[in-house]
Amino acid sequence: MKAKKIILSILILAVLGSIIAYKIYNKPHINVADENADITISASTILADFSSDETTANKKYLEKIIQVKGQVSDVSLSNGKGIVTLQTDDDFGSVICHLTDKESTKISEISKGQELIIKGICTGFLMDVILVKSIIINQQ
Amino acid sequence: MKNIYTLFICLFLASFTNAQDKFLTKNGTITFFSKSPMENIEAENNQVLSIVATKTGQMAISILMKSFMFEKALMQEHFNENYVESDTYPKATFKGRILSFDKITATESATKVKGELTIHGKTKEIVIEAQAKRTDDAIVMSGSFFIDLADFGIEIPSVVKNNIAKKIEVSFNFDHKPYKK
Repeated sequence: MKAKKIILSILILAVLGSIIAYKIYNKPHINVADENADITISASTILADFSSDETTANKKYLEKIIQVKGQVSDVSLSNGKGIVTLQTDDDFGSVICHLTDKESTKISEISKGQELIIKGICTGFLMDVILVKSIIINQQ
Repeated sequence: MKNIYTLFICLFLASFTNAQDKFLTKNGTITFFSKSPMENIEAENNQVLSIVATKTGQMAISILMKSFMFEKALMQEHFNENYVESDTYPKATFKGRILSFDKITATESATKVKGELTIHGKTKEIVIEAQAKRTDDAIVMSGSFFIDLADFGIEIPSVVKNNIAKKIEVSFNFDHKPYKK
């Protein structure tokens, strides 16, 4: 009788363990739409932060959910994925937002020159600040 | 005869003034693929910056490590935190030259790119086979090659050594456009 109980409890533990392991292994990606922004900022300010001190800006912004506001300077579609470029005070740099597949369908409604608020995950700075998995918050 | 020369000179000057010094893409694609007995791991980066200088055939590429998107969030986390340590080394870079750049035409042909690849703070000289074509308004480069993780000081713990290949296949596709200021 005792042996049976021990075997049973080991079995239950093993099943629980594998369920937890499976859950961790299949942990979902962050859904930007469901999360609140960590930082709300203008396109010009985030670019200025990166161009003045990239190391500090990396610590502050990387992998954070950023809500950025700016004027659209370009809208394009690359391999079915929408890309919105927000212009800044700087002539050479901008904020490039790569949209999610779902949001990419909205790009026909966006026009150059309009003010837009976009939320996405910052992955860093090359010539421009890059946001991925972005969604469009407002369309004025 | 003189007219023909004049024509040639005019054509030459016209092509000269039209020629762009730099071609660039801000949404180049790099994917990598690790094949192992346990599982295949794939990641894609669509935000690669690549610049080609047409006078010299020089090529410069910058890659944000955090821009690699994985199927599973856990893989992405391990990649960034344990393997490439992207907080310390946020970028990978390549600086090199397209060999026989002048021979690239509008028809796709094989070429070689030679240069220095820096990942995880370690630099290695590499020569890559690539397919290239060039028109007035685009320089397209694509290809794939293998990198050895050990060359870049990326250690794979023995627990997961069956899950991750030692040699990773890297594929790239860059559609460079003339750089307008």
